[in-house]
Amino acid sequence: MTILQARGITKRYGGLLALSDINLKVEAGQFVAVIGPNGAGKSTLLNVLTGLVFPDSGEVQIEGKSITRAATHARIRAGLGRTFQHGRIFTRLSVLENVMTGAAIRRDLSEAQLRERSMAILESMGLAAEAEMAIGSLSYGQRRMVELCRALACEPRVLLLDEPAAGLNSGEVDQLVDRLTALRAAQQLAIVLIEHNMGMVMRLAERILVLNFGEGIAEGTPAEIQSDPAVLAAYLGEGYTHVGV
Amino acid sequence: MRIPLALAFGIFAIGLVLSAFLSDYNLRLLNLSVIAAVAVIGLNFAFGYAGLISLSHAAFVGMGAYGVAILTTKFGWLPWLAVPVAIGITVVFSALIGFPLLRLRGHYLALATLGLNVAFYIVATNWIELTGGTNGIARIPELSFLGYPLADERSFLWFGLGVLGVLAAGASLIHRSRYGRAMMAVRDDEIASEMTGINTTVVKIAAFALAAGCAAVAGCLFAFHVRFVAPEDFNYAHSITYLAMLIVGGEGSIVGAILGAIVLTFLPEWLRFLGTAYLAFFGLLMLGILIFLPTGIVGLGRFLPWRRPKRPAAILGVRSTEVSS
Repeated sequence: MTILQARGITKRYGGLLALSDINLKVEAGQFVAVIGPNGAGKSTLLNVLTGLVFPDSGEVQIEGKSITRAATHARIRAGLGRTFQHGRIFTRLSVLENVMTGAAIRRDLSEAQLRERSMAILESMGLAAEAEMAIGSLSYGQRRMVELCRALACEPRVLLLDEPAAGLNSGEVDQLVDRLTALRAAQQLAIVLIEHNMGMVMRLAERILVLNFGEGIAEGTPAEIQSDPAVLAAYLGEGYTHVGV
Repeated sequence: MRIPLALAFGIFAIGLVLSAFLSDYNLRLLNLSVIAAVAVIGLNFAFGYAGLISLSHAAFVGMGAYGVAILTTKFGWLPWLAVPVAIGITVVFSALIGFPLLRLRGHYLALATLGLNVAFYIVATNWIELTGGTNGIARIPELSFLGYPLADERSFLWFGLGVLGVLAAGASLIHRSRYGRAMMAVRDDEIASEMTGINTTVVKIAAFALAAGCAAVAGCLFAFHVRFVAPEDFNYAHSITYLAMLIVGGEGSIVGAILGAIVLTFLPEWLRFLGTAYLAFFGLLMLGILIFLPTGIVGLGRFLPWRRPKRPAAILGVRSTEVSS
């Protein structure tokens, strides 16, 4: 079943064509990666999908329902979740309160239930010990995990992750990969990943979309992408071989 | 539930004790502080939680005050009938005007709300048939509570403390709820709030209307306390004073809102001997607080022996002590 679909997305900023006729289709539980050089339009694509930017043309659908012009919060309530490239968390709230803000998307839950659910999410992501701490006392990697927990608390069916491994050390990247794998298996959660860490992309993604200068230059399985001459020329580099994380 | 109730009870108890031995003059000042505290608790929703810099708070206080003044004197309504109508009109008006206004942020919002306050002042001064112009409206009837007339300063103070206690408890409940968290989230990061499923437009309008509602309550109290309203009491300078009270006390904190209102009501009286030099003193005080005590008077609370930072070990069911209420 198709959860998220974008068709013919075009977005222009003045003379710059940020996205040109981009198509993306995400099935339930599927792991899709979007890769490409800096400035290729990857984050703009996520902004269009989440409604921070409206496309000039094209359509975005969640489960067959058009949300092209819907407000961001309405898309989140429809099943979308997102984290940001540089991490955006509520610094005046504690770790637990951050996650509870996400969990509050379920209006039927009591305050105690919100707390319980949020603690369960923090536990599953290895942050239970930090629950009552202020955001300021967390490491960069932990902050990004809090943001991920908050996005998960919104119970998304598609999670859009914008460079979640940026700024993490290799141990933290390994942990992140394990947790994302576990999440998918447990919740049938579809994930769209923007990432420059090719080891992570090749290990996790079932399908990869490659952008360059706002255009989709290739789409396929990791194996297909690694041998695609256009991708090798634009991004991966001639002679690229996958060596793992 | 325990903390809000304790807060309300504490406010009432302290006021009750004070009312036993204070002079009439000090009782009057305390009454004015209680009224200001009600308004500032409201402003705390808009500014302290949701981060909306509102310089129209005095206008909403004025709408409440003029509302009851007009309804009771021109239309002969009973005070207790006029109060909910005046508050209701203010809340509806603030939500309607908030819809276009709150699309602005930061300094732009501050300027637009300042304009709203100036507009209110101009209307109150010039719509003479309704507001009495600069002469104001006199002979506002006395308020009585459960058949007991609130004629003197002492009985009015008890009533005012009751209102303040109830509002402080209510504000504390909101602070600890998903609605309070949503407001603070919107202040921290609007885009991230939207990405958490929060309708930021609704949250901002709600915070603004809640602030206006409390301001209107303060306005009603003011009208029944002074029993006279005139435009001067609600000009933009008062909006700035309310904001200063919140910052001095500690924005984002209910106790801070109350402390700020008390300090900035009594301070000008205590420093009367300074004459116009008071304004210079006041400016320096504000500067000093912003530099040395950015979290306001409540920021001193962290030096209290029972407020030492908690160890990081997570205790399920215990709330963070980061923001006091």
